[in-house]
Amino acid sequence: MEDLTIDDLDNISTGSDDHVQITPAEVIEMMEEAWTNEKFAPEILPNKSEIVDIILDQITTMEENIKKLSSSDFTKSIYQLEVDRLRFLVSSYLRTRLEKIETYVIHILKEEEKRVERGSEKYLTEQEFEFAKEFSFTMEQYFDKMMRFYPGVPADTWSNKIIQPNNNTFVFLKSKKRIEGVPIDEGNAESDLVDIQDGSRVIISYNSVAELVKNGDVHLI
Amino acid sequence: MYGENGYTLIKELARSEDNLPPYNAELVTHISREIKKIYDENQIDAQQSINENIEASILNTIRVRNAVTKRNVRCLMAYHFNRLKCLRTMRWEFGSILPADIKSNLSTAEIEWFSKYSRLLANYMRSIGEDGVNLSIDLKPPKALYIEVQCLVDYGKFDLNDGTTLLLKKDSRHYLPRNECEELIRQGVFKHII
Amino acid sequence: MSLRVSYSPNYYSLDDILATQERVPCKVALTIQKMGHLNPSVAERDLQPGTSLELPLWLVSELSQSRAPLVNPELPKIYREAYREILKADACAVDLHKFSLFFYELGSHIKRFDKKQDVHETLLHTFRTRFRQLMDLADNSMSDPTVQQTLDILERKLFNDAYKARMKLNTWLKDSNTTIEAANMVINHKKRKRMNIEDLL
Repeated sequence: MEDLTIDDLDNISTGSDDHVQITPAEVIEMMEEAWTNEKFAPEILPNKSEIVDIILDQITTMEENIKKLSSSDFTKSIYQLEVDRLRFLVSSYLRTRLEKIETYVIHILKEEEKRVERGSEKYLTEQEFEFAKEFSFTMEQYFDKMMRFYPGVPADTWSNKIIQPNNNTFVFLKSKKRIEGVPIDEGNAESDLVDIQDGSRVIISYNSVAELVKNGDVHLI
Repeated sequence: MYGENGYTLIKELARSEDNLPPYNAELVTHISREIKKIYDENQIDAQQSINENIEASILNTIRVRNAVTKRNVRCLMAYHFNRLKCLRTMRWEFGSILPADIKSNLSTAEIEWFSKYSRLLANYMRSIGEDGVNLSIDLKPPKALYIEVQCLVDYGKFDLNDGTTLLLKKDSRHYLPRNECEELIRQGVFKHII
Repeated sequence: MSLRVSYSPNYYSLDDILATQERVPCKVALTIQKMGHLNPSVAERDLQPGTSLELPLWLVSELSQSRAPLVNPELPKIYREAYREILKADACAVDLHKFSLFFYELGSHIKRFDKKQDVHETLLHTFRTRFRQLMDLADNSMSDPTVQQTLDILERKLFNDAYKARMKLNTWLKDSNTTIEAANMVINHKKRKRMNIEDLL
């Protein structure tokens, strides 16, 4: 298979280069990392839609190639299994995000709004954002209908009972480089600091490493 | 005792894991009435305390009643919310069409919500990538291309992607592409045999 | 579905609603008109200051919070010193389920009423001490099924999760082929259907 060319992929673009060459194997590795990170992080992470799109394209291409092969060709089944594997990876990743979006929908929409105001990177893809808005609207509609018989009742509405992810959850991680001074969050002002060695595996509160997960210095396992 | 009905409602739901008990319209209405009644009582007492300038301790009574209302509202909210959560899971497990006996346990508003959610999900799945991705399949990492399955019901005709049609009878066994029969396994039509 | 959430009850949490229904002893601080019916032991119209009674936790929390508390909460007996001593001595030997089904959940609400933080300490100590036993239990659940009945609801959840994980690992070690299974709700739905048919026959 030939190398793929993609534009602005933050994680790997090196300085001024517009085009970066990465191999399909590297894309898959990135997808796998995005998948486990999403699976184990309590909150929703910045989307990796560039990688998802590349994988989806690759699936389409491979499926077209498979069709051309005769069914007696041994390699056909190997390719098919690879396609299935990729499809599982992408689907599972997207499903996990969807479930978080549904569970924490109001929280996620609020945070996203703040990010837009600040002008910082959006976490949801356009499609996910659309889904989140619609989902939240359907929930609100439903609860308005169920609760509307009560005039003057202290307003406990769907949208002000927010479910938040528990970012104090403990996570396992593997470090991709040496990191110094990670705070061990005990809720104290003066928290202890630890250094994480390159390649070491650590169990730690997600709060302490959320930023490291997002910028790719560590990898949840 | 205040709040007993709410407690009963929640207990009923908590006891039935992985299954949705019939929508308890009766109890929901009871609690709604209690909320209304308490609200009216508070209105009367508040009005009286303004008119007659009586002792402020009636405010204590109002505080108790407000606490009761808050509790009642929480129970109702949680009841409806957790039922929707269960319905959501059902959309993923049964697909967009629910078995009739499950449907009969739902309120009209719930059936409406279910079809809205179904539509929402379908729209989202269609919007991913070039021509959409069906997220309700590929639920487990694939190990083999073809798997052996046993048919558990008289299902009827089933079209395969390569154009052949199978007649699925109860207890018949088939060797099929995994990706094509996964959904039927999830729905309990097939059983995966190793 | 697959979302792994660590234990964190929210507004909609059924367990939290059930736990907050547990009764807590308290003493009335101010006259509360027309609420005599909250105290079933006497038939009076109003609740008088100084009356001791038990009310559900959700009500006690609401009424004790402001600057002019209507009731002053007391610790339920299972969080008082005598019981704390028992837990301190050997937490593993205790039938926690008999203490309260919601020992930890209730405790984490109750500890606000205890300024000395003894309840807080007890909860932590009890959980830490019992955790190892719990994990052993999940790995060898066949050994003694009665032990499971001595767990509180949080421990039971942990036990179930650990037990399922253990079973999955065992299956995987024996044979790395995982079967695709019918969805949980679908299986239960079928079971119920079958039972209904059997009822008819």
